[in-house]
Amino acid sequence: MPEPETRRVVVTGLGAVSSAGIGAAEFTAAIRAGRRTTSPITSFDTTGFPHVHAGEVHDFEPAEWLRRIEPTQWGRSSQFAASAARLAVADSGLPESELARARAGSVMGTTSGESAVIEELVGQWSADGLKSLGTDRVGAVPAGRIAAAVNSELRLSGEALTLATACSASNYALGYAYDMVAGGDADYMLAGGADSVNRWAHAGFYRLGALAEEVCRPFDAHRSGILTAEGGVALLLEPYDRAVARGARIYAEVLGYSVNCDAEHMVHPDPTSIAACIRAAHRSAGVTPEQIDYICAHGTGTRTNDATEVAAAREVFGDRIPPISSIKSMIGHTMGAASGFGALICCQALHEGFLPPTAGVEEIDPALGAGVDPVPGTARPARPQVVQNHGFAFGGNNAITVFGRVA
Amino acid sequence: MSTAAVEALQAPVTHAVEPLAITAVGAATPAGLGLEALGRALAAGRPGHAEPSVQEGESLPPRPIRAVPDLRVTELIGRKGNRHLDRTTRLGLVSCRLALDSLPVPVGSRTGVVLGTSTGSIRSSSEYSLETLHQERPYLVNPSLFPNTVMNCAAGQIAIRHGLKGVNATLAGGHLAGVQALRYARNALRHGHADRLLVSGVEEFCAQSAWGWHQSGALSPDAAVGEGAALLVVEAEDAARSAGRRVLARVLACETGYADRGGLARALASVIGSALGRSGKDPAEVTAVSLGATGLVGLDRIEVRAVRSALGGALPDQVVRVKETVGECFSAGGVLQIAGLLGLWQLENTGAARTAVVPAVSRDGQVGCVVLDLNAPVG
Amino acid sequence: MSTDMTSILTAEQDAQLREIIIEVLELEADELTDTSSFVDDHDADSLLAIEILARIEKDLGITIPQDDLVDMGNLDGVRAVVVRNLGGDKDA
Repeated sequence: MPEPETRRVVVTGLGAVSSAGIGAAEFTAAIRAGRRTTSPITSFDTTGFPHVHAGEVHDFEPAEWLRRIEPTQWGRSSQFAASAARLAVADSGLPESELARARAGSVMGTTSGESAVIEELVGQWSADGLKSLGTDRVGAVPAGRIAAAVNSELRLSGEALTLATACSASNYALGYAYDMVAGGDADYMLAGGADSVNRWAHAGFYRLGALAEEVCRPFDAHRSGILTAEGGVALLLEPYDRAVARGARIYAEVLGYSVNCDAEHMVHPDPTSIAACIRAAHRSAGVTPEQIDYICAHGTGTRTNDATEVAAAREVFGDRIPPISSIKSMIGHTMGAASGFGALICCQALHEGFLPPTAGVEEIDPALGAGVDPVPGTARPARPQVVQNHGFAFGGNNAITVFGRVA
Repeated sequence: MSTAAVEALQAPVTHAVEPLAITAVGAATPAGLGLEALGRALAAGRPGHAEPSVQEGESLPPRPIRAVPDLRVTELIGRKGNRHLDRTTRLGLVSCRLALDSLPVPVGSRTGVVLGTSTGSIRSSSEYSLETLHQERPYLVNPSLFPNTVMNCAAGQIAIRHGLKGVNATLAGGHLAGVQALRYARNALRHGHADRLLVSGVEEFCAQSAWGWHQSGALSPDAAVGEGAALLVVEAEDAARSAGRRVLARVLACETGYADRGGLARALASVIGSALGRSGKDPAEVTAVSLGATGLVGLDRIEVRAVRSALGGALPDQVVRVKETVGECFSAGGVLQIAGLLGLWQLENTGAARTAVVPAVSRDGQVGCVVLDLNAPVG
Repeated sequence: MSTDMTSILTAEQDAQLREIIIEVLELEADELTDTSSFVDDHDADSLLAIEILARIEKDLGITIPQDDLVDMGNLDGVRAVVVRNLGGDKDA
């Protein structure tokens, strides 16, 4: 099909509910300082698990942040998403009433949807059988409610789409939102993702040998795996002309994105396919590899991910791999929200002028080869112009977004 | 800023929506495997198979059930490597195989997948969670079953088994999954993320969801809990025609919106109206409606009211209620509404031109509508 | 199979190991030999390798460090790792 006419799309609002803080400013300050915000798990009984750390959001009181939806009727992931979206709108300076009147919608990514609700029901099932399932909680199970919560909270009348492409889902969401705004199908889109810490994923990742004991240390020779995590993140996208006309603060421009599929293995990423995705993202954004100043890595903290991600980058960038860091070293793996948090920190990096760090790197893994700069420790002052944000997932679902600084 | 400038900014930027062509359909439903089986059951007003495969010691709620009788897994998926596939993934793979087998040549690697679900296999995730409670140590779970707990499992397996490297998306759409998946597909084709897309919806019958529906009170007491999957092979109409592929129907529009509970009927009527508008169709041209909310307390009446209102008072001549045959199929419902229409149209085979609206409405506030047509003049 | 392994693994345990591998890799009983490679001869991937480890842990009630996976490339390798982690032969 022919490429339709497009509008420039910019990010003007950021919202975060995370272990590193609530609100984009708190979140960004923690990341810049390289502060690790993972902690011992409290949301489920960890008895019998050898590893008991995760990136939980401990101090989240939904009623403090939500004004329209009744928190008890929604699952934890929906609460995260709606709160993050409300924060993003407040951050954008756009009056809520104006947003509600506009052609506006939401698209949110997730891995496990309302897993906390499902586990509550599994508890009832285990205790008293399936006929004891709680009537009110059953209605909160569908993952599609995550985007619905955003629309209900902000009275949006446009699309409410939840994408469930696992750990790259927020980048899928950002790409789709970008197309909707660029192509004129919507004037504002909230895009991001949400997930909740749950027992079954903790057990599954432990069983795969992929779960770190206490510290997630991507790119380090002594890394030992991921830490599961939770949270919600939302970015407000609107046309550049509209943002300029209303005098909005513009964090960054969405330059383009790409999605593809390995079609090889459910859990093993494929470097050649990821390299193809990077190249397609560059084509979409109209940039060359030399223009990329920073890569926000998928960077889960497993040996396999590091090796694959660096190999894919090497295929595209040769020996000049841009600085590549992982914020999962601080907040853990927030699953469907992960590439949304990556996108948020990319926008802040472009806007404030820094490179986000990888915390806890003591010895860069020599097996990754020469020229890997994970920005160890704390943020580095810099003036990046174009950055790319990685998201990979089970099922071989790769998605990469590219953001640029707006002068 | 001047008023004129504000108006210029707010004027929607619209562009022609190229029709999508549906070139193949695979269906696995309680009526049996294949589109013809579904069409015949609908034409005869015959309910589908009522005996689910149940695990030992598993109780089911006291209400009607519809289930796919025989998936012919060995024949349609293969003998080896099936052990860990859950029913959701099997339904997805079987409907995919049936669709692809009906095409004269294999689809290429620049094909993508858009699959609609609500939670993935709720049996897989909840049983995995239960294992962590019941095992001697909570991590003594089966690693090979872990991918089944993730919602994009079926779409990933379809891609792996058919070598499909295009965009691979899973949408948690519930009752909106069909229209949302077609919208997503249209956008992905427009932006070149694939040359053609397999647009699918899958819902498995299991004790967990049957009890969930039963306890929720959302289904009327005589409505069956069902299961099924359908997969539509979709590409730009121009591409299909220039390659000489048979076009089973065209997708002219797939529009969505959102409203509070009190505003659902009005929002649905409005979205049906805008979908017809984008299709260049007058309400009087609509010959069929394939309803989706049959059996859903409150929503079924809202749906009929909205369709009547959008079409100027009366329902069209052909009214299809696919759920009377397949039962409540949640996230597969949307694609089964479409498959039901196509099955009936193929059976009737009158050569008459047709236009259908396929509405969708969810308790949570999403509304949507697909507009399809058949035998439209070419060019 | 070396003699010090048979002396530690009971016949029942050895049969259990064979059965787990045959089931996980979907093999006919005669396809699996002491030295046939899970990856090269039986199309195993690393997920199936971890499943073998997990099944052994669960069915035999032992704990095997993930690092031992590299030594579990065939039946003899699995036997050696199990013996090592039964605690009877630390140097095996």
